[in-house]
Amino acid sequence: MIGVVVVSHSSALAHAAVELALQMVQGERPAIAIAAGAGEGLIGTDAMAVSAAIDEVASPDGVLVIMDLGSAVMSAEMALDFRSSDTEVRLSSGPFVEGLLAAIVTAAGGASLDDVDREARAALAPKISMLDLPAPAVAPVSVSADAPAGVSADLTIINSDGLHARPAAAVVSSLAGFEAKLTVVNTRTASAPVSAHSLIGLLSLGAKVGDVLTVTASGAQAAEALAKVTGLVTEGFGEL
Amino acid sequence: MAAQTVSLERLEAWLSRFTELVTENRSYLTELDSAIGDADHGSNMARGMAAVLEKTAAAPSSAVNELFKLVGMTLVTSVGGASGPLYGTFFLRFGTTAGAVTELDSAELAAALRAGLGGVFARGKAELGDKTMFDAMSPAIDAFDAEIAAGADVTASAAGAAAAAAAGRDATEPLVARKGRASYLGDRSAGHLDPGATSTAFLFQALAEALA
Repeated sequence: MIGVVVVSHSSALAHAAVELALQMVQGERPAIAIAAGAGEGLIGTDAMAVSAAIDEVASPDGVLVIMDLGSAVMSAEMALDFRSSDTEVRLSSGPFVEGLLAAIVTAAGGASLDDVDREARAALAPKISMLDLPAPAVAPVSVSADAPAGVSADLTIINSDGLHARPAAAVVSSLAGFEAKLTVVNTRTASAPVSAHSLIGLLSLGAKVGDVLTVTASGAQAAEALAKVTGLVTEGFGEL
Repeated sequence: MAAQTVSLERLEAWLSRFTELVTENRSYLTELDSAIGDADHGSNMARGMAAVLEKTAAAPSSAVNELFKLVGMTLVTSVGGASGPLYGTFFLRFGTTAGAVTELDSAELAAALRAGLGGVFARGKAELGDKTMFDAMSPAIDAFDAEIAAGADVTASAAGAAAAAAAGRDATEPLVARKGRASYLGDRSAGHLDPGATSTAFLFQALAEALA
């Protein structure tokens, strides 16, 4: 599992953003380190603190750094010169709140550094889609066009709030560990297929109560993974 | 004739004078920053340089690289804003290029300043006219090099650099910021001096006074 470093000018902001993101994670969570504030309650960032945070959560799978603005980026860049760990570190251009949430949920599902980074960068997609604005340049974790056809099921969303952030996160984390790839299409909107391993992809479906989702699974554990997701959807994600 | 080499002691005097200037002008720098930024440049720089003087007094350095490594690392961790990594990188690169020596001749000082500028450029990715500290620092170091090339001593060259930094600072007033927090203001950033360019002009004023 990759490690996540949170860099912010404000310690309060960083802690609140992490708390918000962790609401989406049941079970195992990635190692998270916060480097926020300039000490003594001051607003600012400290490159040495970022460097220490990277070393603290360094895992062989890599580290993703989520930053707010300005000197947070500069301090994170400088921290790369100071750190003592040698794992791969990626500085995310994703938005702070949405990107952090996407990163933590995706990382908790055991995704690679590449996939977590991509999810964080694409994290504004659901908001953009809700506002009916043009699609962003970065797509969430992609669905390969030549994915082998597998088993599929049509599932109806019964939650009154639709497939919002918490249920979508539950789908992503329920699939951790399965040797299977799942895609989802919203039949109401005839959406392009999105990866069920992508929080941002699932949220961008804009699935409302009553929408029918076609979930297709392939891979060695396709049937088991599909059954898991089917169970979650038909039980209303435990929210009913 | 003024000295042709710059001792470790003179470099320490440069840092002390820079600390005095940013401390005396703390409110002024913050006022400039409140017009187009987050109103912390004066307090950030004064706090950072005060920490530098505290550290350098507690652990006197025996070589130029050692001194400026301590200065750079202290700024990186105590300034808080973007000036921390930027000034920090300037002094770290300055020290690395100067090396384990106790004095610098004019060419060595020029090379160390140039390396510091390169560090600021690499870290901040700003270009001339972006309304940043680079707009004061780049002409200052060009002027220093030009004076040295024309045969001037380090005193006169540092004075030339200070004048060029001040001119560069003044030239930021009409500019629209393209980097940093001020860039969010767009056209509203025009009509104000850039706080970073202003503190950089103090850095070269301090150098000129320390080498006078």
